[in-house]
Amino acid sequence: MSARRIALLVVALVAVVWPAMLSDFSRSLATDGLIYGLIVLSLVLLTGFVGQISFCQYSFAAVGAFTVGSLVAAHHWSFWLAMPLGVFGAALVGALVGIPALRLSGLFLTILTVAVALFFDRFVLASGTWNSFSGGLSSWVVGRPSFLGLHLDTSYRFYLFVLGVFSVCSLLVWNFRRGKTGRVLRAIRDAEVAASTLGINLTAWKLAAFAVSAGLAGLAGALLAVSIGSVSTGGYDLVHSLGVAAVATVMGVNSVASAAAGGLFLVFGPEILRHLGVSSQWFNLVTGGLLIVQLIVTPDGMVTDTQQKLRHLLRRRADRKAPAPTPREREIDLVHS
Amino acid sequence: MRTTASLLEVEHITVRFGGVTALDDASLRVNAGEIVGLIGPNGAGKTTFFNCVTGVLKPDTGRVTFDGVDVGALPPHRRSRLGMARTFQNLQLFSGLTALENLMVAVDAHSQRGMLADAFRTPLARFEERRAEERARALLHFLDLSDRADTLAGDLPVGLQRRLDLGRALVGRPRLLLLDEPAAGLDTRETAQLADLLLRVRDRFNVTMLLVDHDMALVMRVCDHIYVLDFGEMLTQGPPAEIRQNETVIRAYLGEAVS
Repeated sequence: MSARRIALLVVALVAVVWPAMLSDFSRSLATDGLIYGLIVLSLVLLTGFVGQISFCQYSFAAVGAFTVGSLVAAHHWSFWLAMPLGVFGAALVGALVGIPALRLSGLFLTILTVAVALFFDRFVLASGTWNSFSGGLSSWVVGRPSFLGLHLDTSYRFYLFVLGVFSVCSLLVWNFRRGKTGRVLRAIRDAEVAASTLGINLTAWKLAAFAVSAGLAGLAGALLAVSIGSVSTGGYDLVHSLGVAAVATVMGVNSVASAAAGGLFLVFGPEILRHLGVSSQWFNLVTGGLLIVQLIVTPDGMVTDTQQKLRHLLRRRADRKAPAPTPREREIDLVHS
Repeated sequence: MRTTASLLEVEHITVRFGGVTALDDASLRVNAGEIVGLIGPNGAGKTTFFNCVTGVLKPDTGRVTFDGVDVGALPPHRRSRLGMARTFQNLQLFSGLTALENLMVAVDAHSQRGMLADAFRTPLARFEERRAEERARALLHFLDLSDRADTLAGDLPVGLQRRLDLGRALVGRPRLLLLDEPAAGLDTRETAQLADLLLRVRDRFNVTMLLVDHDMALVMRVCDHIYVLDFGEMLTQGPPAEIRQNETVIRAYLGEAVS
């Protein structure tokens, strides 16, 4: 078994067993951490692969959350019907935001995402604009769904469910990363002209990346709705989007593992501050400070950097054990292969 | 005269930028299997000519025919699908991807597989993934870059980046390879290596080349036929030995340095 497999197995075991021993409160924090992790994951896809910084991921999450909130609370839909619709809606909004991305890039597109966040914050979700979606001044109350006949009302069951969803999504993004999708998106990020000369359809790939990223954030929103049990405006504003973008950068947007680390940091960070007797309001300042330190010390992000160091260490140990075999020389028919 | 079938035919193209005539009634022919050079001093219109062939620029008048097809109205990626490939003077490598990945992307570009197949790593995705890697590794071996497979393209020295750029253009099995100043930024030794590589590429890949450069050592060494451009006009054409002796060329292009 490779070192990577052993590490993954240990992480999986800890992720399943350890929360069983925690208090209900800590367990629900861990659950929310994984849900925030999905939003970080959506940034791994968009910022890490496509190179686009987005400050409106919580607006995409809001589409998922309020779709579930309004349909389940007001129209008594099943969560299992409302959730896919929320994800699809978020993906659609994401693709729409992606359209300007075909012309704009870098800073200009980032400013556009700020505008999108403000548009949702101040208009779409504002009381009086669309109360049947936003709930107006009151909030939507949503109960926990059942999954495979099991009611997800206990915190441990719900935690395991969220852990499953998070793992599957991480696996999908990791498959993107090591497959054609990751290569093509990163190629577009590095040199658009060369990519299109090779025959890559820039429009289709960019829109797809925006849609999938927004869909992931929308899924996080839908889960957050049932995790908290209510959906109300204020939790999905620009400040939250800025915070998650900062945390994603601190952890490293190039690595799928950053998603879990970033999400857990977002919920346990303020808790740890509270334990130290510091108001959790200082959390954003701590993140900002970390961001500055990280940009100087580990420009690729803390998780990414740690992974690289580990990989380096393992390779050095492996090299000492056995010298690398020389590649087999072979004649290959380059024209017809 | 050269009589074999022509693969690329550029006829009487004229390009004006405002009041400046960048190209004036310039024509050029590349026969299948040849390496044709286009030379000229800085500002002669080489890059403009190159851009007209690749489709980045549309000439005001004149025709560009590739393998009997008038490609004048086609955008670059459509021309690429017809079998034209190009390299870049200012090295547009995917710097954040490894050397291997740079070549794999070029294979990917020709597959129809979308994100869904990738997400679930379907049998098709696995198969294509393996095939792309095999082909990329074979090319790395040919380019003598096997030991740099996992190096980020941006970390390679310029000489090796040029080679990788050439390899990336070859992945799609083009029939016509357009090389935009491949010797730019290379020293004498690297240029000599490049010349050898280009000749090997021609034989191995059965590819025709149009080479735009002002490095005389490279052009004289590899080209079968040379066109000379000066002030937007085709000054003359002929085999290297002839061009080397040509009085007008020496005066217009080589100048005092040779005499």
